[in-house]
Amino acid sequence: MFDHILSILIFFPALAGVFGFMIQKESMRAYGISVAFIEFILSLWLWFAFDSNVSGMQFMEQMALIPSFGISYILGVDGISLFIIILASFFTMIGIASLTETPNEKNMIITLLFLQMTMVGVFAALDAIVFYVFWELSLVPMLYIIGAWGGPLRVYASVKFFLYTFMGSLVMLVGMLFMAYFFYQATGVWSFALLDWYRLILPESFQLWLFAAFFLGFAIKVPMFPFHTWLPYAHGQAPTIGSVILAAILLKMGTYAFIRFSLPLFPDASVFFMYPIAIIAIIMIIYTAMVAYAQKDVKQVVAYSSISHMGVIVLGTFALNVEGISGSIFLMIAHGVVSGALFLLVGVIYDRRHTKMMDQFGGLAHVMPRYATIFGVMLMASVGMPLTINFVGEFLSLLGFYEQSHILTLLAGVAIVVGAIYMLAAYKKMFFGDVTIEENKNLPDVNKRELVALIPLTIITIWLGVYPKPVLEPINNSVEAVVQLMHNKATTEEAKTRIPDLTQGIEITRTAMKEAH
Amino acid sequence: MMEIGLNHYLILSTILFAIGLVGIMRRKNLLLLFFATEILLNSVNIAFAAISHYYNDLTGQMFAFFVIAIAASEVAVGLGLLIVWFKRHGNVDLDTMSSMRG
Amino acid sequence: MEKYLYIALFAPLVSSLFSALFTATPKKQFVGIVASLLIFAAFVSSSILLTHIIGGGEVVHVELMTWMATGDLYIPFGFVVDQVSVTMMMVVTLVSTIVHVYSIGYMDHDKGFNRFFAWLSAFVFSMMVLVMSDNFAGLFIGWEGVGLCSWGLIGFWFHKEIATWAANEAFIMNRIADLGMLIGLFLVYWNTGTLQYEGAFAAMPSLDPATLTWIGIFLFIGAMGKSAQFPLHTWLADAMEGPTPVSALIHAATMVTAGVYLVVRSNELYDLIPHVGLFIASLGAFVAMFAASMALVNRDMKRIIAYSTLSQLGYMFVAAGLGAYWVALFHLMAHAFFKALLFLGAGNVMHAMHDELDPFKMGGLKKTMKWTFIMMTLASVALAGIYPLAGFFSKDLILEVAFVEHHYIIYSVLLITAGLTAFYSFRLIALIFHGEERYKLFGIHPHEAYKFMLVAMSPLLLLAIIAGSFKISYFEMVTNVLPELEYHIHHPVTFWIMVIGTQLFVIAAIAFAYKKYANSSVKVPDGTSKMENSIAYKILKNQYYIPYAYEEYLVKPYREISDVFWKQVDLKIVDATVDGIAGIIYSTGEKTRDMQSGNLSTMLKWMVAGTVGLLSLAVVFGLAVRYFDEILAVLSGLGV
Repeated sequence: MFDHILSILIFFPALAGVFGFMIQKESMRAYGISVAFIEFILSLWLWFAFDSNVSGMQFMEQMALIPSFGISYILGVDGISLFIIILASFFTMIGIASLTETPNEKNMIITLLFLQMTMVGVFAALDAIVFYVFWELSLVPMLYIIGAWGGPLRVYASVKFFLYTFMGSLVMLVGMLFMAYFFYQATGVWSFALLDWYRLILPESFQLWLFAAFFLGFAIKVPMFPFHTWLPYAHGQAPTIGSVILAAILLKMGTYAFIRFSLPLFPDASVFFMYPIAIIAIIMIIYTAMVAYAQKDVKQVVAYSSISHMGVIVLGTFALNVEGISGSIFLMIAHGVVSGALFLLVGVIYDRRHTKMMDQFGGLAHVMPRYATIFGVMLMASVGMPLTINFVGEFLSLLGFYEQSHILTLLAGVAIVVGAIYMLAAYKKMFFGDVTIEENKNLPDVNKRELVALIPLTIITIWLGVYPKPVLEPINNSVEAVVQLMHNKATTEEAKTRIPDLTQGIEITRTAMKEAH
Repeated sequence: MMEIGLNHYLILSTILFAIGLVGIMRRKNLLLLFFATEILLNSVNIAFAAISHYYNDLTGQMFAFFVIAIAASEVAVGLGLLIVWFKRHGNVDLDTMSSMRG
Repeated sequence: MEKYLYIALFAPLVSSLFSALFTATPKKQFVGIVASLLIFAAFVSSSILLTHIIGGGEVVHVELMTWMATGDLYIPFGFVVDQVSVTMMMVVTLVSTIVHVYSIGYMDHDKGFNRFFAWLSAFVFSMMVLVMSDNFAGLFIGWEGVGLCSWGLIGFWFHKEIATWAANEAFIMNRIADLGMLIGLFLVYWNTGTLQYEGAFAAMPSLDPATLTWIGIFLFIGAMGKSAQFPLHTWLADAMEGPTPVSALIHAATMVTAGVYLVVRSNELYDLIPHVGLFIASLGAFVAMFAASMALVNRDMKRIIAYSTLSQLGYMFVAAGLGAYWVALFHLMAHAFFKALLFLGAGNVMHAMHDELDPFKMGGLKKTMKWTFIMMTLASVALAGIYPLAGFFSKDLILEVAFVEHHYIIYSVLLITAGLTAFYSFRLIALIFHGEERYKLFGIHPHEAYKFMLVAMSPLLLLAIIAGSFKISYFEMVTNVLPELEYHIHHPVTFWIMVIGTQLFVIAAIAFAYKKYANSSVKVPDGTSKMENSIAYKILKNQYYIPYAYEEYLVKPYREISDVFWKQVDLKIVDATVDGIAGIIYSTGEKTRDMQSGNLSTMLKWMVAGTVGLLSLAVVFGLAVRYFDEILAVLSGLGV
C-alpha cells in the first residue's frame, strides 16, 4: 500500500467527492468528516512510515504520461513537503468538522474534498507539469467557495483572486517550458521531472530570467508586496472555511515552491536576487503590519497579519542557509496553524454577531472567557511568544538571515514589535473594557463544535513550540540536502560563499559544542 | 510571338484574386459574394496548376482538384442556406444579417 | 540535587496550571492556598540548593531535552544552579511565596481570584526559567514569558481602559528592547557558534572588540527594556495600574531586575568591553537621579515607589557597569526585600483607603494601621540606606565602588540621589501616616489589613533589617563565579568621612521631609500654591513631558501613518494599479467589440486588412533577413 500512498492521498478525497454527489443531504456532513478523517489518518500513516533520517524523496511513484515530451506523473515527499501535506489534511478535517450551518452544505463539502486533492497534489508533485496542473486546479474550488458562499463583494473578490494568481502562474508556466527546453538542449532528452532538473547547471544569465519568471508566479501566490492586494479581498469576502484553508495551506504553495524550484534550480540567481527580495520581505513585514493596525475589521487584521508573517517566511527562505530555510518551513506550518486558528476564531464571533467590525465588540472577555483565552493563546503565538509554535520558525528564520545581512535582519526583526502592536490593539478593542453594546451581553461562549477545531490547534501550538523536534528534524535533514545541492551547483564566486558548504565542519567550535552535548 | 510562361499565369492569378477580393469587400448581396469567392478559389487554382506544370509535379494539380471539389460542396451547402434565408427574410442583403454581433 | 532543581522549576508551573483550571469558576479559597504551598515548595527547594551551593557543593546542571536543533544550531532546555542563579532563585521564590500568601487576602473580594493566581504562578515559572537557564535562548523564553505575564497582570482588571492600555504599553515597549536582545543573541550565535553561556563566554575573548561591543550593546538594549531604563522607562510607572501584589513582585522585586541579572550573567562579556560598562554605569547613574527627581513631586503613592524602584535599578546598573557584579547582585537582593515590603505596605494602605492613591488625601494613618506603619517606615529606612539596615550595606557599597574606581561624577550623582531617595521616601511616609487625618474629609474609614497578610510580610521585614549581615558570606559564595573584586577605601579617614557624611546627609533629608510634610498644616493641594505653579514642578509632575512626547511624536504619527498606508497607499496606489491594469484590458475589450459588428461585409474587410497587414510584415521581415548585412553596414555607416 505504501507504494501508492501518495496517489491514494491525492485521489481518495476527489473520488470520495464524486461519490458524495450520491449521498443524501442530511448525512453529507458525517460523510465528509469521515472521508477527511480517513485522509488525515492516512497522512499520519505517511508520517509514521516516513524515515526521517533520509534526506531525499520517499514514497516515489512514477508513471509516464507523455513520454515524447518527458512529462511524467511523479510523486514523492521529503521533510519539506511532508508536514504541509499533513497540515492540509488536518485543516480539511477540522474545517469540515467545525463547518457552521451553510446553505448547500453538500456542495461545500464536495468542493472542499476536491480542494484537498489539489492541495496534496501540489505538495507531492515532482514533475513540473503535474505540479502546474494541481497548482492551477486549486484555484477552481477556491473560486467557487469565495464566489458562492462569500460576502457582498464575493464576485469581485473571487474573480480578482482567480485572474491575479492565474496571470502569475502563466508566466511561471512559460518559465517551466523554457526550463524544459534548456534541459533538452543540454541533454538531448525532454524532461519535466524536477529531480532531473536539479542536475542541470544553468549559466547565470539564464538563471536570472527563469528565476524572474518563476518568481512572478510564486510571489503573487505568497502574496508578496506589491502583489498582495487580492488577499484582503479574498479573505474579507470568503466564508470562514475558505479563509482558513486559504491562509493555512494555499498561501504556503508560493513559499514552498520557492524552496522546491527557485532555490535548487537557480542558486546563483537566488543569491543575486537575495537582497531585493529581502527588501520586499521587509516591506511586507513592516508595511502590512502597519496597514493591519489601521484596520477596523478584525478579519482584515488577521489577513494583513498573514502577509506580514509571510514576509518573515520569505526572508527565512532567502537566508540560503540551513537555519533560515528550516525556520521558514517550520514557520509555514506554524503560520498555517496559527492563522488558521485565528480565522476560525473570527468565524466564531461572526456567526454570533454577523459583523467583524471591532467597534461592535469590546469587553468580550467578560461574556466569553473561554473564547478570550483561546484567542489570547493564538494572539501570543501570532506575536511570536517563545514556547509557541510561531517563535521557533520566526527565530530560526531571522537567525538564518542574520548571517547574510545584519541591518536587514534588524529591520525585519521589527516584526516582533509591529506584530505586537496591531495584535494587542485588536485584542484590546475586542476583549477588554466593559460590554457596552446590548447584543454582546448574552453571547454564548464557544460551543463544542467549535472547540473540536480550536482545542487541537491550541495543543499543537503549544506542543510544537515546546518540542519542535519531531517536525524540525526531518525538515532539517531535507533542507541540508537542498543547501548542499545549491552550494554544489552554484557557479558564481558570491554564491559559493553565500551558500554554506555542509560537507566540511564550518567552524570547529560549533561541531565541538555539538559533540559536548 | 511571346511564349506564355509561368509569370503570365501568376499575373493572371493575381489579377483574378484582386478582383475576387474587391468583390468580397464591396458586394452586399450574398449570391454575388459566392461568385467572388469562386473567383478567388479559381485564381488560386490557376496558380496551382501553373506551378504544378512548371515543376512537373502533379501535387499542385491534385490540390486544384481538391479545391474544386470543396468549392462545389461549399456552394451546394451555401446555396441551400441562402435559399432558406431568402424564404424567411425575403432578401439576401448582408447588412440585414448581423445577429452575431459581439 | 537535581530533584530539587526540578521542584523549584516546575512547582510554579504546576501551580499555574492548577489555578488555570478554575479560572472560569467563582472564587475558590483553596486555589490560593494550593498555589502558595506549591510556590513555597519551590522556595524550600531553592533553599536546599542554596545550602548545597554555599556548602561548596557542585554546580547543578541538567539538560532536560532538545528544544531546537537545526543546522549547526543546538538549543537544549538546560538549567543550571550556580552561585548567581541560586541567589536569584532565592529572591524570586521567597518574594513570590510571600506575595502569593499576601494575595489571598488582597484579592479576597476580586472575582478574578483564581485567574490571578494562575497568572502570578505563571510569572514565577517564567522568572525561574529566566534565571535558571543555561543558555541565552532559554533566558529569552523566560524573558518573553515574564513580559507576557506582566501584560496579563498589569491588565488584570481588563475592564479598566487605563489598565489595558498600560499593559499594552509595557508589552510593546519591552518588545522593542527584546528586538535588541534578539539581535544580541544572533550576534552571539554567529560569532561563537553556540548560545550556551559556557561555550559562548569561553569563545568571546578571541573575538574582535568591535563585535564584542555590538554584542554588549544589543544585550544591554534588551536589559534596558526589562529594567525600564531611560528611554524605555515610561511603562514601569504606568504598570502600577495592576494589582499591588503584582507591583511588589514583578515591578519591584523580580522582573525589572532581570536586566541587571543579564548584565551580571554576562560579566565575562562586559569585562572585555569596559567602555560599554562605563556607558551602562553612566546611564544607570542618570536614571537613578532622573527617576528620583520624578518621585519628588508625584502624588500617586504607587508611582512614587515605582520611580524609587527605577532609581534603585539605576544604582544596580552603576555597580554592574563598573564591574562590581557581586555588589549589583547584592543590592538587587536587598532591594527586592525592602521594596516588596514597601509595595505590600502600600497595598494595605490602598485597601484601607478604598483604592485611594493620593497620599495627600491620607495622613495620620499610623493610629489605625500600626503594623503597616512600622513595616513601611522600616522599609523606607532600609531604602534610604541608614545603618544597620539592608540598604546601608548594599547601597553604600555602590557609592564606594564609584569612588574607588575614580568615577567621581557618578559618585556625586549617586550621593545626591541618595538624599533625594531619603526625602521622597519619607515624604510619602509622612504624608500617609503622620499629620492630620485628611481622609476624613472624603468619608473613608480605614482599617488594618488581615492578620495573615501582615504575618506574610514579616519575613520581608526581617530580611530588610538583617540582610546586610549576609554581606561577607554572600561575597564568599558568589565570587566563586563572579569577578572577585573587593572595594576598600584605603585611607580609613576618608572611609569614615564618607560613611558618616553620607549617613548625616541622608538623615538630614529625612528630617527635612518630616518637617515639611508631617505637620498638621499639610493640605490637599488644589493647584494654587506657588510651588505647584513653578516650572520645575510642572516638568517633574509631567515626567519631563516624556510620555507626552511619546504619545505625540511616536504613537500618534504611527497611527496616522498606518492609516495613510492603508487608505492612501494600499487602496489608492497598489490596489488601484492592479485594478487599473485590469480596467485597461477591460475597456480595450469594450472598445474593440465594435469590430465584431456581426456584419459579414465589415468583418470580411477586417479580415482582408489583417491578411494584408500580416503579408506585408512577412515581406518586410523577409527582406530584412535577406539584406541583414547590408542594413547593418548602412546603420554602422550612420554611426548607430
